Amino acid sequence: MGHIGQTMQRLIGIATVAAGLAAAPSFAAEYAISVWAGGSNINDIYRVDAIEMAADILTREAAIRGKDIKITVDKKTYSGWADFKQAVTLAAESAKAPHIVVTGHEDIAPWAQAGIIRKIEDLVDMDAWPINDIFPNLIEISSFEGAVYGLPQDAEARPFFFWIPHLKEIGYSEAEIAALPDKVAKGEYTLYDVLEDAKNIQDKGLVAEGYGFYPRVSNGPDYWQFYQSFGGEMYDAARGKLVFDKAAMTKFYQFFVDAVAKGVTRKNHIGTDWGQWYSEVASGKAGLWHGGTWHYARYTGKEGLTDFFGNIQFTLIPAGEKGGRPNTITHPMVYLVTNRGSDDEAFIAAELVMIASEPRINTLHAIKSAHLGIAKSQMSIGLYSNDRWTSEATKRLLPYANAMPNHTGFGKYWTVMWNGLKAAWTGQKSAQQAANDAEAELKNTLGDAIVIR
Amino acid sequence: MTRTQWLGALFLAPAVIFVMLFFLAPVMLTGVFAFTNMSTATGIGSGVHRVTPSILKELAAKGMDREAVETLSRATFRVDSRSIARARQAGQDPAFLAELEQRHGGQSFDGRRAFERALKRLSARPRSVRALKQAAAHFELNILNRSFETPQALVAAILEAGITLSTEDRTALVAASYTGWTWTTDNFRRMVGSEDTATVLVNTIIYVFFTLILFNIGFALVLAISTFYLPKAQATVIRAIWFLPRISPPVLYVLLWKWLAWDTGFLSAVLGVFGVEARNWMLDTSVNAWVFVVLINGFVGASMGMILFSSAIRAIPQPLFWASQVDGASRWQQVRRIILPQLRWPILFVTSYQTLSLLTSFEYILLSTDGGPGSSTEVWALAAYHTALNNYTGNLEYGYGATLALVLVAIGVVLSLAYLRIFNFDALVARPRIET
Repeated sequence: MGHIGQTMQRLIGIATVAAGLAAAPSFAAEYAISVWAGGSNINDIYRVDAIEMAADILTREAAIRGKDIKITVDKKTYSGWADFKQAVTLAAESAKAPHIVVTGHEDIAPWAQAGIIRKIEDLVDMDAWPINDIFPNLIEISSFEGAVYGLPQDAEARPFFFWIPHLKEIGYSEAEIAALPDKVAKGEYTLYDVLEDAKNIQDKGLVAEGYGFYPRVSNGPDYWQFYQSFGGEMYDAARGKLVFDKAAMTKFYQFFVDAVAKGVTRKNHIGTDWGQWYSEVASGKAGLWHGGTWHYARYTGKEGLTDFFGNIQFTLIPAGEKGGRPNTITHPMVYLVTNRGSDDEAFIAAELVMIASEPRINTLHAIKSAHLGIAKSQMSIGLYSNDRWTSEATKRLLPYANAMPNHTGFGKYWTVMWNGLKAAWTGQKSAQQAANDAEAELKNTLGDAIVIR
Repeated sequence: MTRTQWLGALFLAPAVIFVMLFFLAPVMLTGVFAFTNMSTATGIGSGVHRVTPSILKELAAKGMDREAVETLSRATFRVDSRSIARARQAGQDPAFLAELEQRHGGQSFDGRRAFERALKRLSARPRSVRALKQAAAHFELNILNRSFETPQALVAAILEAGITLSTEDRTALVAASYTGWTWTTDNFRRMVGSEDTATVLVNTIIYVFFTLILFNIGFALVLAISTFYLPKAQATVIRAIWFLPRISPPVLYVLLWKWLAWDTGFLSAVLGVFGVEARNWMLDTSVNAWVFVVLINGFVGASMGMILFSSAIRAIPQPLFWASQVDGASRWQQVRRIILPQLRWPILFVTSYQTLSLLTSFEYILLSTDGGPGSSTEVWALAAYHTALNNYTGNLEYGYGATLALVLVAIGVVLSLAYLRIFNFDALVARPRIET
């Protein structure tokens, strides 16, 4: 046999090419994971960045196991809620929802029923770290019907704020200001004392009219706190039904009507620009107001407030009447894995979420955005424990905090509550009328799912 | 068909297709959706069957067999010969299954986590979270919180778990566990029974009436007539300026109004000089809000009437005006006796077109007051939008929103027919009595 036949030559050629191709690097699997976060501004960027950091770690872990994977993370944040929830819901209907969603825990109930989200407990080992370190009550808030759907992304509480220099001007001593949180917690300082102090501050000319009591300018979980202050309950866990306490709702509406009547809050306060509101409360243009623990980051960051603790005192939301229930609502955000993509992608997304919930990574978000941590061991991480605001807020607020219920009808209840508040606040209806109409509307739309007291 | 008829059909075809796609199909779908309870929670596609603890609690309260409810509520994982055979058939590692049978044969576990913990203690277990969960699935007798595509799958799983249900209990369970949407006439009952509906209806009537009378017809007439009497150059400039609101992007246009009216805006600044305190002129009271809503929409609406009326006035023969001037008629008499009678058809057209247009338009209101203050400027179309497509809590109710939209469609159709009748449209398009 002298020369190589034509067929043989061809075969050799093909073999060479194949060898060349095999030598080129190729990934065992490539994943493009998308993550969307709602209600997030510039300080909340770690909600999505944490997934990117997790992707890096997961890629390295896979490499050690001998599997080369490539994960590209596609991030998107929304500053509001309405557009975000609409986007996620409608995208999910056409199976184009992002793989991971960061949203409020109250969305778990309707989205679970609609099949938009998968249960995280089906995708990760709930006994593994870092999940076993997360506060059990947060895991509870991320569950629905006994199944854990999401992992908590952050925790927070919503305090009541006082501008200390103005308090001093109307006669508060240093000691009294320091004792205020305690007085509020005991139910001795009530919401009507708030209006009194606001009036005094306004009368002294320290703030403009309508700035004495300067509440939140748009809808939010915060307003449920005032309902709770007057003894209202949102949910009866034993019966699994929502609760409408008419007396409490009427008093809650009446409180804001009284605030307007007293002149300490404007009638058309709702709808004021958020940017304007933040800059006013952070610079002493308001007397008393309420907000969230993350406001610390905004006031000391964008609004440039240099001495937070010297200028602002914070407490629980005061009780409505003496001896009533001071409270605060915590509205944890959760990481949810949606029904998008194959099971493969879902497992990868869930692992990313799990890694992103590790204490060190979560602390980055907690401190940058001034939210509270989700795990016990976060308390011993330097960045977290050395932050004065986080430790004080946790100590003073979290023990008294409760969350809104996870119930598919809660969204409707919330809308009805808000419509009633707006009507009473702007003077369209009296507080009693607004509460009556709210009751009728709830009976009409929720029927059995709500208990009217 | 003749060639002309073919050509006619061909030319009509695009319009017909668009009407079907963008009018008929949506209207029919709206009609269909109005009889469902579609919402975020039910989803739009078909639902699945999922049994949850609350459903079981409700069924127990309605009289379902206590023992069955009890068993259904438990999340059992059982290791027995059947489940092991199932796992072996699915391709699980025989060594792992052997160890499992040896250690836990015949045992039942209460809950997935307990079972997975037991599995993790086996040395031959699958070494990844995913594989472990897949292995555990074969031993699952639990039906809680699991999605079953069909009722048959749910029933099969119940039988598999060894639970016996009476037929009526089974039917009740299958019905209660369905997560998708169902047909219902509840939306109409809810719409009629709600106070809000009446308020929104009144708001819509106020909105349409005032905008139409004051601006779409009233001010349009004023513009058309006054520009008729002005020199041509000035008239063109004025008409062009009054066209700007209609052709400006709505967001920018409303932003300009906000700059005018809000606390920190132009009006507050100017009036501040006279000692009037700064306030949000747009949102201060509901009357304020209505004034601005009517102004914002009216400025946009006036331009259409202005153009139609202008061209109609131009069509009036000039000799009529000359004759009236000779007779010593004043401008006002010319307007009353010559111009207005000739504008009968254009006014009819603008009225019917703009009524329907105003009924369904809400974007300027959305951008400016968003239904506020309170819900005092919430019109019907805006209410439907907030219900079905965009609200703070993300609780989108497609079915109820479709009901609201359907009412709008119905009103639109009725009004169109009424207008055609009242203004004797037939006479306008009747065949001429003169032979051609």
